[in-house]
Amino acid sequence: MSRKEIKGLFFWPILLLALSVVLNLSLGSVYIPTEYIFTAFFSDTYINETWHYILMDYRLPKTITAILVGGGLSVSGLLMQTLFRNPLAGPFVLGISSGASLGVAFLVLGSGVLGGLGATLLSGPWAMVIASATGSFLVLLAVISAASKIKDAMALLIIGLMFGSLTGAIVSVLSYFSRAEALQQFVFWSFGGLGHLTWTGVIILLVSVIIGLVVTIASLKSMNALLLGPQYAQSLGISLRKSTFLMVLATSILAGSITAFAGPIAFIGLAVPHLVRQIIGSSDHKIMVPSSFLWGSIIMLLCDTVAQIPFSSMTLPINAITSILGAPVVIWILLRRKNLLF
Amino acid sequence: MHLRYFIGIILGLQIVLGCKDPKAISNLDQGCENSEQITYAKGFCLAKQNDYTLLKILNPSTGQIKQQIALVPEGVANPEGFSFDDVIKVPIKSIVTTSTTHIPPLELLDRATALSGFPNLDYISSSLTRARIDAGLVQELGQNEALNIEVLVSLKPDVLMTFSIDETQKGLEKVKQAGIPLIYNGDWTEQHPMGKAEWIKVFGALFGIEAKADSIFQSIEKEYLDLKSRAKQSSGQPTVISGALYKDIWYAPKGDSWAAKFIEDANGLYLWKDTAGTGSLQWNIEEILQYTQKAQLWIGPGQFTSYDQMARSSPTYTQFKPFRDKKVYTFSSTKGPTGGLLYYELASMRPDWVLSDLIHILHPGLLAQDYEPKFFTPLAP
Repeated sequence: MSRKEIKGLFFWPILLLALSVVLNLSLGSVYIPTEYIFTAFFSDTYINETWHYILMDYRLPKTITAILVGGGLSVSGLLMQTLFRNPLAGPFVLGISSGASLGVAFLVLGSGVLGGLGATLLSGPWAMVIASATGSFLVLLAVISAASKIKDAMALLIIGLMFGSLTGAIVSVLSYFSRAEALQQFVFWSFGGLGHLTWTGVIILLVSVIIGLVVTIASLKSMNALLLGPQYAQSLGISLRKSTFLMVLATSILAGSITAFAGPIAFIGLAVPHLVRQIIGSSDHKIMVPSSFLWGSIIMLLCDTVAQIPFSSMTLPINAITSILGAPVVIWILLRRKNLLF
Repeated sequence: MHLRYFIGIILGLQIVLGCKDPKAISNLDQGCENSEQITYAKGFCLAKQNDYTLLKILNPSTGQIKQQIALVPEGVANPEGFSFDDVIKVPIKSIVTTSTTHIPPLELLDRATALSGFPNLDYISSSLTRARIDAGLVQELGQNEALNIEVLVSLKPDVLMTFSIDETQKGLEKVKQAGIPLIYNGDWTEQHPMGKAEWIKVFGALFGIEAKADSIFQSIEKEYLDLKSRAKQSSGQPTVISGALYKDIWYAPKGDSWAAKFIEDANGLYLWKDTAGTGSLQWNIEEILQYTQKAQLWIGPGQFTSYDQMARSSPTYTQFKPFRDKKVYTFSSTKGPTGGLLYYELASMRPDWVLSDLIHILHPGLLAQDYEPKFFTPLAP
């Protein structure tokens, strides 16, 4: 691919991302004129205190969260699809979201069964985040220790699925014995959400996503080699065990921190890598990773804008929107291209 | 992989992040010893200080303090040297609440006009507040579990009263940061029928009309106690069951719960009065069938409003004695204009009305012949 072609590949998505950010910041339940948004950012004039709060402390953190969540999940989905050489893989195949939901279920639903053990150990605004992160971390610990013993990536995939079933079963038992209010709180967590993060939360998420991306970049070479099959990669001098470990680590950091802060966000991680492969027509991970991040962010921003239902006080769960808008697009692209690039 | 270290790190993190920093409360009393008389409620207390009132929100089961809020009259300087969770200038002028049980106290205190927003407006049934909603004076805030932060912030209420009793709910941190004081209203966790109603005193303190709130509460309390002693005089104690089936498990209120206490005060014999606890009990259908042959009345069969509906939902219901005797009563038929159940809105503030309804069912003839039930009606055929 020539330099010019690569430039073209990134010019449009970056422009689109900028437009999506402006759109996402301008539209919401409360009408704020677009000119005000530019004044708020580029000058010190202070027109309206409420607008200022909504813009700077609600919409802006939400926009940044959307970029991090969409981009991070797309990259981790790509990592998993490459590692398992399976187009159905996504960021959550290793059981990250199952672990997170188990942690949150113990916190929110556990009081009926454990007599409030979860709630006494953990309280305060960070309780959900910590419970979710602990849950996914424990499941990942089990998966990583399995990964260091097992050579076959497919076995890892199945172990991840098994953990998913196991935690799902425990969550059902907990739900069965729970009060309606607690169940509702749990269900709302499982819808996912971007708008409740405070600035501290956004910064922690930002740092985690950057660390995850650095680990991803460190495994770019082995990812490209893995495309040609594990034997070929080994013959190129790549340690399968080490590259598997790095890719699993990157996915856990990305998907784990995102799930902890935004809840289990469906679809994006699975679909965006497919979309990007169709758009750029290349499997080179040096292009795929940044493109997936860009397109994931754009799609997440647009989905969030729709989910807010501008100018109404209603909002829809972000998880529903990503699938409702995303699935038809992926189907359409696959039908148009008539074959799956993988 | 050293599993032990990882677990150690996680536990360490939990301890560091999970514990709240100790608050400087040394000068304030730990519990509610020096507070005004709160008779039934366990979830709050009000303590008069020199020139302000200290509102403490407690965990009703452990008595642990969840919030300490200073209610400082307008024109008085904020007290210094203490770290309150919030300082609120009273009387407040606007409020956003999240539960329909908060509407009746506002209306009884003549402060319905202070309500500026509410999640899921359709749940509100009161005609006074519905008229304000129709006039566009109360803003829709979406779902309680996912309040619309933008609209809420633009309303800038003096207080957001929420019914969740912990901080884990999404978005509440944002509301605090926007400078909107938060009060956790735990009225629904109170287990004494009068305990829920006593929360009107919190509203009274917020609006600076404590005396009015006290007198309203006292008149409701007097009415309740009068009804209770009248019920005592009746002869006979009908056996009452409550609850409904979900799939093949029967769910009913436990013996120490709010609902069970009402039946006791109406001089009825709640079949499961000896079960300890306040949540709901779960019985297997086989056990239930053998129990219920003793029951004479069935009060509160879930969401059902007609015998036909019940029989279609589960043929097992037809085996119950109160069902065959047509002695099933529900509060699910009395709805407001937009579908909200009146019971869920009014029962916690008006325990006297609930009790009189129950006495009317349990001891016909004890109340006036033309008694009009407020909540409980016989099931439709």
